[in-house]
Amino acid sequence: MKKKKNLLGLSIFLALLLIIGVLSALVLVFYDYIPVSDDDGALISPEGSRIILGIPALQEISKNIPLLELGNPITQTTLSILAVTLLLIILAALLTKNLSKRPGKVQVVLEKLISMLYGLVEDTMGKHNVKFAPYIGTLFLSSIVGTLIGMTQIIPSVTKDLSVTLAWALVTTALVWYNNIKNFGFKAWLKGFTEPIVVMTPMNIVSEIAQPISLAFRHFGNVAGGGVLTALIYSALAGLSGLIFGWIPGFIGTIPFFQVGIPAFLSIYFDLFSGFVQALVFSLLTMVYVGGACPPPEEIPEERRAKLEKKAN
Amino acid sequence: MEFQWFLEKFEAFVGVNPWTMIFAWLNLLILYLFLKKLAFNPLKNMIDSRQKEIDDMYSEAEEAQKSAEVLKAEYEEKISHATEESEEILKSAVRRAQLKEEEILRTADAEAARTLERAEEQIELEKKRALGEIKDEVSSMAIGIASAVIERDVDEDKHRELIDDFINNMGNEQ
Repeated sequence: MKKKKNLLGLSIFLALLLIIGVLSALVLVFYDYIPVSDDDGALISPEGSRIILGIPALQEISKNIPLLELGNPITQTTLSILAVTLLLIILAALLTKNLSKRPGKVQVVLEKLISMLYGLVEDTMGKHNVKFAPYIGTLFLSSIVGTLIGMTQIIPSVTKDLSVTLAWALVTTALVWYNNIKNFGFKAWLKGFTEPIVVMTPMNIVSEIAQPISLAFRHFGNVAGGGVLTALIYSALAGLSGLIFGWIPGFIGTIPFFQVGIPAFLSIYFDLFSGFVQALVFSLLTMVYVGGACPPPEEIPEERRAKLEKKAN
Repeated sequence: MEFQWFLEKFEAFVGVNPWTMIFAWLNLLILYLFLKKLAFNPLKNMIDSRQKEIDDMYSEAEEAQKSAEVLKAEYEEKISHATEESEEILKSAVRRAQLKEEEILRTADAEAARTLERAEEQIELEKKRALGEIKDEVSSMAIGIASAVIERDVDEDKHRELIDDFINNMGNEQ
């Protein structure tokens, strides 16, 4: 019965996505933005290099829509995010289809991962904050899958767009502020900025603002920088191949032989390792920041705790 | 122109697009809800319920062992009691049997003694009767002999008395 419900929800979600896509395409056609070409008659994508399934047209369109002048509503990243979301949801639905008390191999691995996640959250944030574990897990999965999906070379990484990491970092900040105000009260939160001495107030405010920015830029910089370095190395290897094999006449001379194999080792560091570390760092820092705003119940001031308990009832 | 180009490229690389941010938030929210419902909660519940089951099983087993030990002690006590009881029963049975045996022996002895006594009495009586008969016979024989000897009537009563005395004296002397 429950399995059916899950599948139903999933299919409704997919149908909704389809409807939204069709509607937006209709709107775009209506505004006569398809297809758009530049002076040379070639389709442009913002990066010029990566083209997704004929979507450069869409990207060009979005570039031209003056939606409150906020920017392109649909970018490469948006599509990547969608892909990551769908991938993760479908994976979750498929892998947790047949849960049972006597676990199979897949379930054992999943349970190990889940208990590792809950253990990590419990160690970092305390036993009373275990409710945050699903969010931390979601964040970690989106981050790592969003980074690693760039390795397909078809769908670009989600996290090499600052908008995404900044959005995630702002969620962390919002959680921190919300929980601070909830647990300590608005006045106490404001007063916290003047501690330990009043002179420190500007510093405190700057550090509060720097927190999401540093979070966002750390993750974005690692992934985007890795991408830039990889691109540079690719072109350098192409140049090297040209230098060494360029004398061979015809088609063979133009093949960049050095691009085979060597970048794979770099990819292990820039994509796999860096992606994993950044996802871990982002999740860990989120845990630490939010955990700091959610102290154990016995550390919350007495009258505040009474108020909270009253609210909870 | 150059600078403009640079700015555009820079913005394309490090720019923040509010639309993308909104999409990122929405997707994070959707992903959170779905993963929580599809993966995190069911798996966590599974782990917890299995843990609970194992804990329950262990505590149940412990309880069962405890009650078994109590029962065992009880039974052991009962069994040792039963041995004692059986010994008691055996002992009392033996004692009773011995008592019975003694009684039977005693009654048998008494019976035998009484029978013997009676027999002796009988013998005495028979003896006395036989003696009396013999005395009568002898005295009448003596009188007959005497009357034959004397050829006359003897005062029978006087003589009988005389003879009886004689016989009695004889018996006494013997």
